Amino acid sequence: MPDIFVSEQKNIKAKPHFAKATRGGEIHRQEFHSHNPLAAYCYFPDNVRFVAKDSHERVVLFLRRHPITNLGWILISILMFLAPMVLSSFPLLDFLPENYKFVAILGWYMISIAYAFESFLDWFFSVYIVTDERIFDVDFVNLIYREISEANIDQIQDVTTAMGGVVRTLFNYGDVFIQTASEIPRIEFEAVPHPDQVAKILRELRVEEEQEKIEGRVR
Amino acid sequence: MIGISVLGIAKIFVLFALGLYIIFALVVIKQVSLMTKTVEVGLEGFIKLIAWGHLIFAVVIFFIALTIL
Repeated sequence: MPDIFVSEQKNIKAKPHFAKATRGGEIHRQEFHSHNPLAAYCYFPDNVRFVAKDSHERVVLFLRRHPITNLGWILISILMFLAPMVLSSFPLLDFLPENYKFVAILGWYMISIAYAFESFLDWFFSVYIVTDERIFDVDFVNLIYREISEANIDQIQDVTTAMGGVVRTLFNYGDVFIQTASEIPRIEFEAVPHPDQVAKILRELRVEEEQEKIEGRVR
Repeated sequence: MIGISVLGIAKIFVLFALGLYIIFALVVIKQVSLMTKTVEVGLEGFIKLIAWGHLIFAVVIFFIALTIL
């Protein structure tokens, strides 16, 4: 049976609303745009690349846990580094010969460095990425095990933010829970700065994605 | 004589532990390599340098222990 009406092929390149911000160096004037590789909240980061990124994708948000969450391991590391000096006044290792004592102290410093470095790596590389197409949760569960959860923006069903407690309120960070219709039903952005702002950006991206579908703009 | 043998056994244990630590330091280098391939933000060189420094530190301590114990 012949088609009565055939819509002409819509092949217009997508022009996301967020892309407007990238023109004329506008993003460099945005409040949360940062060039600091240690930043926990970066809006339209310049130098972020990740393994699952498509060539046409643009990173909108790059998030980590708030830097204040590092306070625990930083304090423990300082205590570990100071421990040999403080404990030198107590006869804890006096039963050992001098050379064994020396190696024991060197070994202690080595373990302290490893603890501090591993804790830093855990914070630095456990990131949450929002692009104009998808959201990613990159986790390093143990030394050599990597887990990347992702969901399309149009699969987001609900976004909930949680921010409670004195420290979280004071430093403005909290959790963002994203319910999705993908294989991973829930993606959590834990202890990220400005959770309300994150939820707002996700909402805007969803609206934009809906708009793209209605207008038939496809990638 | 008994004292020497006890310290000798202790030396073997210390060297064994330090040897295991060198393997751990190598795993850390592998881990850093995997992480920097996964996410690139512009601090990869510095982090790799620390990982290699950590391995060198572990090897140096192993040889110090081998020499002075």
